[in-house]
Amino acid sequence: MILSPAERSYLYDSLIQKPTIRPDSRAEHQMRPLEAKTSFLPGSNGSARIRLMDGSECIVSVKAKVVVAAKEANLIECDVDVVGFRDNSNFVSNLKFNLTNLLQQNFPSDYLRLTSKYSFKLFIDCIVISHSSYPLTLISLTSYLALKTTKLPLLVSETNDEEIAELPTFSDDWDNAKPIADYFKGKGKEFQPPIFITLGYVGSNLIFDPSVEEEQVLENGLIVTFYNNKVITPIANMNLAVNSNNSNFKGLNQTAIIKSIQMGNKFGGAIIRALDALIEQDDDNDAIF
Amino acid sequence: MVQGPMEPSLRSQANTTEATIEVNVNVANFSTFERKKRTRTEKRIVELKATLEKTFEQSVMCNLYPRTVIQVDIHVLAQDGGLLAGMTNAMTLALIDAGIAMYDYVSSVSAGLHDQTPLLDLNSLEENDMSAITIGVVGKSEKLALLMLEDKMPLDQLESVLAIAIAGSHRIQDLMDTELRRQGNIRASKMTQS
Repeated sequence: MILSPAERSYLYDSLIQKPTIRPDSRAEHQMRPLEAKTSFLPGSNGSARIRLMDGSECIVSVKAKVVVAAKEANLIECDVDVVGFRDNSNFVSNLKFNLTNLLQQNFPSDYLRLTSKYSFKLFIDCIVISHSSYPLTLISLTSYLALKTTKLPLLVSETNDEEIAELPTFSDDWDNAKPIADYFKGKGKEFQPPIFITLGYVGSNLIFDPSVEEEQVLENGLIVTFYNNKVITPIANMNLAVNSNNSNFKGLNQTAIIKSIQMGNKFGGAIIRALDALIEQDDDNDAIF
Repeated sequence: MVQGPMEPSLRSQANTTEATIEVNVNVANFSTFERKKRTRTEKRIVELKATLEKTFEQSVMCNLYPRTVIQVDIHVLAQDGGLLAGMTNAMTLALIDAGIAMYDYVSSVSAGLHDQTPLLDLNSLEENDMSAITIGVVGKSEKLALLMLEDKMPLDQLESVLAIAIAGSHRIQDLMDTELRRQGNIRASKMTQS
């Protein structure tokens, strides 16, 4: 319990106002300010770190490996590690399942194919160093940045190896490495990994990215997926206030789901644009401190 | 990340005379060249954790913080040799940054022996190939707070290896000191501006 009954009631009453009044004076569609850094891990193909103003921090690394495509069930593997939680706890398994499911279903892994036999496999490892609110959005935004900045070495051998059975060889020069986005451009597609947006539902208001205090008084929580400039499935609802008996929690009105899709469609693009701008502005200074 | 001194979650963990230091070591799957899944209960990691706890119990003024826990989380994001040395130095800096009273710096470095030549700060290829020790030196003294030898080393050569390692640790301590003072000055100037 982080709020007293009086605080809960005050916060709830201000959140159900029209328009909603949030404790940090954000608009309903506004995310919390964040700070990010990309490509700082020397041993990974792509990496990103996001820090929120409340001290939440998440680091994601993307590593690629050449595998025999036929032997792999999935070309993407995710792992989530949250400090203070066991790897097999419900909380961590849920986050891991959400992320794995999202990327495996919505990541066109055909583009990772190198030759008819070999393919890249991406290992996405997330470490949540600290968090206060439900960390799914934080993890998914960080993986977006990491995937966007992932570079894969340039293939110098033939792409057609049906006749000659040879292992793919790559250019020795890391400067020749191409971002994943370039693999997509050749095939006329924009590379944009999917992201999760958490929404809080309170008194017919929907609020983006609820903070930990707001989570305590929400009537319901929604997780909306945004991909290719529109909201897609899975859309899930859950109690975002983990390990706390949220007395306000109740069933979800179906109009809330429709409203969440509308809001997602309207504002999701802005989040993606902000993240892309962030990557462009990121200087090449390798230090993360 | 350093948390504390704080009230322990279980009363049984509290020591009425001094603080308990609890270290959590988390070596990321992607830290090495080949990605490898590691568990927190791996023998080597448990040993590193215990070594760090013992080392810092002596160097932190634990008697100033009775009935508390000082929790330190260490995340290894990239490694290429000198794992224990890197963790020790990082932990020293983090404890100082957290304002926890310590007797002196603990600076650490690894050193190995190749044939007759002692070598300082090995990378992981070198570490696999030759015997190596990791030492932690308290302040500018020649007192060792930490000494870890995972394989064998001839006794007659040990002294030369220790000598180069102690010299290396003193140098690292200078570097840490300069960096801390630089960061401190930056923060102090920020405080006076605002």
